[in-house]
Amino acid sequence: MPRGLLRVFANLGWTVYVVAIVTWLLFPLSLILLSSFQGTISITTDVSNLNVSAYEAIPDRYWNSLWFTVQISVVATVTALLVSVPAAWAMVRGKLAERRFLSNVVLLPDVVPHIILGIALLTLYLQIGLARTWLGMLLAMLSLSLAMGLRFTEALLEGLPEEYELAAETMGANKLQALVLILMPLMAPGLATAALFIFISNMVTFELLFFISGPNASPIAVRLFSDIIDRGIMPHSVAMASIMIYISIAFYVIVALTLGPKYLAGSTVSRKG
Amino acid sequence: MSPEQARPVRLANLHKRFGGFVALENLSLDIEAGEFLTFLGPSGCGKTTTLKIVAGLLTQESGEIYFGERRIDTLPPSRRNIGLVFQNYALFPHMTVRENIAFGLRMRRWPAARQAERVEEMLALVRLQGMGNRKPEQLSGGQQQRVAVARALAFSPDLVLLDEPLSNLDAKLREEVRLDLRNIQRQSHQTTVFVTHDQIEALVMSDRIVLMNSGRIEQIGSPQMLYDEPATEFAARFVGANNLVPARLEVVNGEAAARTGSDVHVRLNTVVPGLADGADIWMCVRPENIHIITGEGSSDGSGATVLDMIFQGTTVLVDLESDGLGSLRAEVPARHVAGIAAGQRVGLTFAAAHAVPRS
Repeated sequence: MPRGLLRVFANLGWTVYVVAIVTWLLFPLSLILLSSFQGTISITTDVSNLNVSAYEAIPDRYWNSLWFTVQISVVATVTALLVSVPAAWAMVRGKLAERRFLSNVVLLPDVVPHIILGIALLTLYLQIGLARTWLGMLLAMLSLSLAMGLRFTEALLEGLPEEYELAAETMGANKLQALVLILMPLMAPGLATAALFIFISNMVTFELLFFISGPNASPIAVRLFSDIIDRGIMPHSVAMASIMIYISIAFYVIVALTLGPKYLAGSTVSRKG
Repeated sequence: MSPEQARPVRLANLHKRFGGFVALENLSLDIEAGEFLTFLGPSGCGKTTTLKIVAGLLTQESGEIYFGERRIDTLPPSRRNIGLVFQNYALFPHMTVRENIAFGLRMRRWPAARQAERVEEMLALVRLQGMGNRKPEQLSGGQQQRVAVARALAFSPDLVLLDEPLSNLDAKLREEVRLDLRNIQRQSHQTTVFVTHDQIEALVMSDRIVLMNSGRIEQIGSPQMLYDEPATEFAARFVGANNLVPARLEVVNGEAAARTGSDVHVRLNTVVPGLADGADIWMCVRPENIHIITGEGSSDGSGATVLDMIFQGTTVLVDLESDGLGSLRAEVPARHVAGIAAGQRVGLTFAAAHAVPRS
């Protein structure tokens, strides 16, 4: 076979391969989005009668849960990053002897199956009165966010040569000025990406929060699960699931537009290092 | 900085260990105001350790550092008033060239107008006028390097430290930039310490060279001095190419000569002070000081056989097996090699020979 033709076939092969993967990834999402506009839970490709009735039928308790989830997710994300930056700085720049051990220990909440953590937390929370409370949920979510946040910030700092700070110091900056004027701006894009991933992961945290949630402190994932167990899948459940997708996409787009796509494509910092 | 403002720098008995490894052994040194001084040595010789201790990025075990009468080694890096150019420049990527250069001024709370004026002065000094609004990533390696130098000079530091700043540049650019650096230093009369393992850089740029080895100073002197009269075997081998032949010193009527084991006699032009008649020496002959005689009269001086010839443009390296002096390498202007070929018998004379102690 001539080489040119071979190349054409090879390119075609790769294209099919990539399209297949993308389809595989996006197919379930597109099905949910489509069916949320069909007002039914049956899966069809009928696009003749698209409507928003399922969205209109979303009950208040869903909206409350969504709002509750957004709140604790945002607070947990921001808190986690605020705590992580100085902690990671101490671990990376301070060259702590226990550093390897520490960076693995902070991973534990993320490595241990969340459902086990959830049961453990329930036992503890019942005794100290945190079960089914806003604060209790936030603290639980924060443990996961911190594990991610530290991982992200540690990797970010590792990627920033120490010379930047040292250069600032030799030119007369104190440690705080070096942090605020040099490190933070350099870390900002990475921190925004980290915030995005932590936030999205917080929004869908389920197992950890399942046992400790209650009627007044119910994240949307738990609410959806309970409702579906109780009543089966309703069109408005599908609509709410779609809204979660919109929120994730919106966040992604905001971060991408702010930073430029290069910071997100293959976001260099992986969750588990 | 005008020459009157510049203050001498004194390092007194600096000592530093890393675990059991002695990185610096009681190093003492006076650096004159306005001087361009180079720390030269192989990796691990303590030159970068010295630089980091002076900058305050490492702490010495003992010893003191003075700028004029003022002791500065007790101060944090931010208060030593030292400009440091890093090997990778460490330009702040989120700031423009102008902001980078102004950083030290900003930290010193100069008024904005004076900052702007000074930045322009610096841009002119490093020939980057009009580039002030660019980001470092928009500059070439050589330009980045000059910004790093401008940034380190801007706040009139007492001392500028350059940590192998040329090692990231390609060979051609490096040649240009080292002359640039030297000119900038001469114009600014800035006391400068340059660290390098590249002897050519050291020879080209420095007023004085501090040759270091294993945490100690091997020799201090002008480039010419280090090249022509190395004080030790290490200096003779490290700076420039050299032929070292083991010999014994003979002093007759004040004339020094080297006598080798096979009784070849070579007159010595210079001898390290303190060497007495009969001392074990290395006779050092630079390749360019070996003259090759062909044809008639080639039996004068000592004889040799040509082993190999390596063409390198303006000169040719000629590897020789000499009678009584072992392997030697000569460097001959390319236009003088006609008539020399591998395998040929030739005569040798030495234009200059020097002796260092042999232990």
